[in-house]
Amino acid sequence: MAANKVVPLAELPSLVPPGASVGLGGAWMANHPMAAVRQLIRDRIGDLHVIGSLSSIDVDQLIAAGLVRELTFSMVSLEAYGLAPHFRRAVQDGTLRINEVSGVAMNVALDAGARNLPFLPMRDIGASELPEVTPGAYAEIECPFTGERLLGIRALNPDVALVHVLRADAAGNAQVEGPMGCDPELARAARRLVVTCEELVDTETIAANPASTHIPGFIVDAVIEAPFGAHPTTHVPRYGLDAWAVMAYADACGEGRGAEVLAELASETEEGYRERALDEDRRVVLETVAREAPTLETA
Amino acid sequence: MTEYRIEELMVCRIASEVDDSGVTVLGSFTPLAYASYMLAKLTHARDAYLVGFNAIGMPPVELNLTGTEAAAYRGALARWSFLTTTQTVHLGKRGLVECVSPAQIDGTGAFNLACIGDYAHPKVRMPGGAGSPEVVQHYERILVYFGRHDRRTLVEQVSFRTGQRAPLSAEERRRRGLLAGPVRIITPLAVLIKDDDERPFRIESLNPGVAAEQVVENTGFELEVPADIPTTAEPTADQVALLRERIDPHGTTRFDFLDAQERKQMLRDLLQDEWDRALAASRVAAR
Repeated sequence: MAANKVVPLAELPSLVPPGASVGLGGAWMANHPMAAVRQLIRDRIGDLHVIGSLSSIDVDQLIAAGLVRELTFSMVSLEAYGLAPHFRRAVQDGTLRINEVSGVAMNVALDAGARNLPFLPMRDIGASELPEVTPGAYAEIECPFTGERLLGIRALNPDVALVHVLRADAAGNAQVEGPMGCDPELARAARRLVVTCEELVDTETIAANPASTHIPGFIVDAVIEAPFGAHPTTHVPRYGLDAWAVMAYADACGEGRGAEVLAELASETEEGYRERALDEDRRVVLETVAREAPTLETA
Repeated sequence: MTEYRIEELMVCRIASEVDDSGVTVLGSFTPLAYASYMLAKLTHARDAYLVGFNAIGMPPVELNLTGTEAAAYRGALARWSFLTTTQTVHLGKRGLVECVSPAQIDGTGAFNLACIGDYAHPKVRMPGGAGSPEVVQHYERILVYFGRHDRRTLVEQVSFRTGQRAPLSAEERRRRGLLAGPVRIITPLAVLIKDDDERPFRIESLNPGVAAEQVVENTGFELEVPADIPTTAEPTADQVALLRERIDPHGTTRFDFLDAQERKQMLRDLLQDEWDRALAASRVAAR
């Protein structure tokens, strides 16, 4: 019988030690591991080096909670809802150490980490100033075969990766059917991988649709069931963006009530969060926008 | 003559760069660019591949704030991770055109998505460039668009070079294994183009009713002003109808043309509408 890797969300602190480097999955406003982020906030797991490529409210809330020592990123944004308020303030105040890396290079860095390589080459990124301000990520190299000048991208190997998926079995075989950002590579690059899932299923359900299994169980260390675990970001095909909640967060922070929002998150269980943030109407709306957002026929 | 708004003219100009040969990627929230890609896909570029949030070959979708990713995935032909997309499209020389909408650009084509003021001690820290440095360096055609054309946006020198296409000459780019093509800036006043490292941006076309002096006056860097400058093509009645009735019936492409307060009000209104529509649709589905 396959190993049972299922643990409750409340056990996340035993998997993420303070001071760890933590890679967060998701991209843009899609599929960030928000339930896991909320648990880190509840348990005040701090002094973290957060690694997130196209980050959003996930990173902003961890910074707001004072849990981030260092951030490696290519973007932190609330997109239409504005600048990420706590990220912005922390960098402006000089309280957060940042390693800013271009987005494709972030993917290459995780790919290098996943392959057990110290770096991978890519062609240049033009006359960007990022290699000057983040010298630890980039190095000019010469191709040993052609002599071309290339850019070496240093590998990233987070101590822990937190990735949210649609469904997983107890052995960690994890399926995604919507945007997955760079999650498969992050998952392979990490020294420890924790998967949160919308639902736990049996192995037969996984085997019925193996093309969706982007993360196989043998690289997974722990599985946590977390319905609406990406909320308020999207988890396609289950639910769309809770833009109303993202806007409320931006508004609250803009009015100086960021600390209140974080205190509330820290004071409740994940079940309590779902009861408060996701009443019946809201669940229906989020599921409906994911199901019915119109495509345009070309005929 | 067809009545149109300035954002519709810009959408049509951007759409004209998308053709059947290429791959166009949708990344961060840039509704004006999204509308352009959908318009191309519904008219002259039906065989172009749109890639939205790594949904490969996504169908054209109606623009909205909450369901665009879901719609993109529903009709997509493949679902990749971001690494596979960027290896294949960005680094693999398959990127035809992608828009960037930064905070600043200067006369070298360098643009800024990082900060206003000193990088280490910024006055305003912005989101960062995501994949834009690689996009502007590796795609065939680069379009940078702005909702306003002034000296705070088109500046003498950017505070930070998030990205910059280099070099610009076709011959030198091909020698380095890169696709060749110009950088264009699309604004409410004009289209500017640069394809030579040694020469400044040139006014390629003036939007209807705009004088060259007005463009020069509102640009913080040197411009080449040809003696005869064509007028940017105006949208056709069909294009305007497609945009208003099908692609962007809720008007999200106005977003980049509003100030902060107006944006907030627009988002509130759009979200109220989306909430009401979703609840109504769920009741229909439940019957």
